[in-house]
Amino acid sequence: MLRKRLTSENLNKWVDSLIASGLRVVAPVREGGLTLFRPITSSTQIAADYTKTDLPFKEWLFPPTEVILHYRIVDGEPVLEDPEVDATKTVALFLRPCDAAAIPILDSVFGGDYEDEFYTTRRRNLTVVGLSCTEPQPECFCTAVGLSPTSEMGSDILLTPVGDEFLVEVLTEKGEQLVNQQPDLFADAGNLTKEQVTEQAIAKMMRKESLPTFADTYADLFEHPIWEEIARKCLGCGICAYSCPTCHCYDIVDEATLFEGVRCRNWDCCGFALFTLHASGHNPRPTQAHRYRQRVLHKFAYFLQTYGQNMCVGCGRCVIKCPVGMDIYEVVRKIVQACERVGV
Amino acid sequence: MTNEVKERNWEPKIVAFVCNWCTYVGADAAGTSRMQYAPNVRIIRFPCTGRIDPLFIIRAFQHGVDGVIVSGCHPGDCHYVSGNLLARRRWIVFRKFMDFLGLDLRRLHFAWVSATEGAKWAQLVNEIVEEVRQAGPAPTWAMPTDGATKIEAPLPEIGLPPSPPPELTLQIRELARQLLGTGEVGVVVGYEKATGAREGAATPTFVNKPEDADRLIFNEHCVHNLAVYLTNPLVKKFGKVGIVAKGCDIRSIVGLIQENQIKREDVSIIGVVCNGVVVNGRLADKCVACPVKVPHIYDHLVGDPSSVQATTSGHPLDAQIAYLESLSPEERWNYWMPQFARCIRCYACRAVCPLCYCQPCIAEKHRPQWIPTSPHPQGNLAWNIVRAWHLAGRCVGCGECTRVCPVGIRLDLLNRKLAIEVERAFDYRPGFDPSAPTPLSTHRPDDKADFIR
Repeated sequence: MLRKRLTSENLNKWVDSLIASGLRVVAPVREGGLTLFRPITSSTQIAADYTKTDLPFKEWLFPPTEVILHYRIVDGEPVLEDPEVDATKTVALFLRPCDAAAIPILDSVFGGDYEDEFYTTRRRNLTVVGLSCTEPQPECFCTAVGLSPTSEMGSDILLTPVGDEFLVEVLTEKGEQLVNQQPDLFADAGNLTKEQVTEQAIAKMMRKESLPTFADTYADLFEHPIWEEIARKCLGCGICAYSCPTCHCYDIVDEATLFEGVRCRNWDCCGFALFTLHASGHNPRPTQAHRYRQRVLHKFAYFLQTYGQNMCVGCGRCVIKCPVGMDIYEVVRKIVQACERVGV
Repeated sequence: MTNEVKERNWEPKIVAFVCNWCTYVGADAAGTSRMQYAPNVRIIRFPCTGRIDPLFIIRAFQHGVDGVIVSGCHPGDCHYVSGNLLARRRWIVFRKFMDFLGLDLRRLHFAWVSATEGAKWAQLVNEIVEEVRQAGPAPTWAMPTDGATKIEAPLPEIGLPPSPPPELTLQIRELARQLLGTGEVGVVVGYEKATGAREGAATPTFVNKPEDADRLIFNEHCVHNLAVYLTNPLVKKFGKVGIVAKGCDIRSIVGLIQENQIKREDVSIIGVVCNGVVVNGRLADKCVACPVKVPHIYDHLVGDPSSVQATTSGHPLDAQIAYLESLSPEERWNYWMPQFARCIRCYACRAVCPLCYCQPCIAEKHRPQWIPTSPHPQGNLAWNIVRAWHLAGRCVGCGECTRVCPVGIRLDLLNRKLAIEVERAFDYRPGFDPSAPTPLSTHRPDDKADFIR
């Protein structure tokens, strides 16, 4: 790992040079009252006072809607065409460590046994410049899921504000290449460290206590009545899944006229009643309690079993955006308490 | 079809939705009489104009037609007695809605053409084809490439509402204890203090034991419309439901009763005197001109009616609506399309609305797929139009849909515009009279519709 230091002024110069070199640079931008990752044409467009974006970064690797197949009927026969996948070389700026850590989680799913080229093409062409947190928000709980405000997971380069400059940790070859575009802007880190910044940020976090996971115990708590109590107020919308940096479930639909059509992959949410509705009319997850249980266990049990990592990164978006204030941090603790009470 | 192909040899493409008994025969009569008229219209035959759902009009535009004609029997002549009279009500509101979204009204026409009026049909088509030709090819339902229109009419500066006195909380708890203790209700739906990251806020809660009643609170952060839980099976299983309800929430309850989703006797309404709630750090827009600060229907009243602050102004959204109406249709389109393009189809607007209780929702039906599920601009436009339209004359303006939208779409403007038009046309405001027929399920012989040729 290379360690460098960068002044704020040089950071902006570096960003502008990346844009000038023809790379697509995506950064947090204020747009219509929201903060979203959008392409920028100048470092001045980056949102000031940026804490966290409203929608997660995943839309740049896994878009809300994507054509995966074209077809036309030619002389009575279907002609299939693969769409061109966006392979634009992209630099993503200032992902918070929680958002950056989500990327290796998605890599496990889309780049696993079966490679999803729609994802991996974009992933291959992406370099991630993370930005450590100095001001955790009330909803944040990354430390509770094994991360930290200055975690390196998922970043190719991690910037940490120390005083009025940045510690630059160059973590991968991709990161090195990016730094080497303007090596003179970077000085040696010397004895600049992020330890103090990390400590201070963690001290500010309201919800530090580690969250248990259920990979080994979920069978025992599966039928517990606490699920219904917790899930009763859930309205079954898709905000939690869509604002989550790691949720990746999708629906495949065909949109067609008589002679041509497309097959699309769209974001889907396990909270929707339709999610597991069978053509027969049977629904194996008939109530919101079943569906909410699925959400929690996928995040804190099944994914861990399959891929060896916790699927939640503790960003807290689901907590602040939920229409009725469902708080997954509190939910997990409540479940464990309820199970402990009955000796499960 | 691409815009270039459209413009090279462009001829207006017009679809006509007509009724079988009058206009279809009239059009046929024009043909058998060998009348010459513009060939740009494709006719789709319906049993009655009452069967024509505005969804079909939306779908026609979605599929690239440049103009739509809807035509049927004259009022009084409907083969099914009143189908066209119900249709007339729909057209009155829908047309205003389309205009508000920025559809050029030269593209949307309504007419009464009888079976003997072949000449009228021919002339009508000729005139309409020319109007659509003047309007040009219809804009594709995609993002405008020039900048989005902004509303240059800021919402008024409103402070914070006063905090309700603590007695309200104590009264609610006592009522809950009584209602649960006597078994009059099986559950009380109310609010409790949020903990964790949302400290300071309130959150919905369900109390089914009298000893848990002390969880209940009421303050200015109790924004949620709890009526949404009255159709929730996990709540209904407890039996009769007691519900802590502000005036706006009670209006939703009235809507549910009007539409036979709940029975009046299945709910015990704990009406709360309310001077307003806080949304995004200020008094909610809906509260500024609230007509139900003192609940109008309840089984138990909590709070002091003399404590309400008088309403001194009109609805704060009306100035923004007036601003949009002062713009050209293209500018309005340029406002709404970027809004809808942001939609991610989380359906939180639907999930939080007490009156969106349909199972399945029209967006979930797929044979045929009326509304594309994909969150592309076309699919989003269709969804957002239908959502607002299906609430026309039913939405009470509780504002929850707008509060919860994660991408900040101004659903409140759509809902308020439709409410204004329904009130103007039919002198009806939803949520006051549980025995009133809903405006679009009834009609009057003097419904005014000057735009129908």
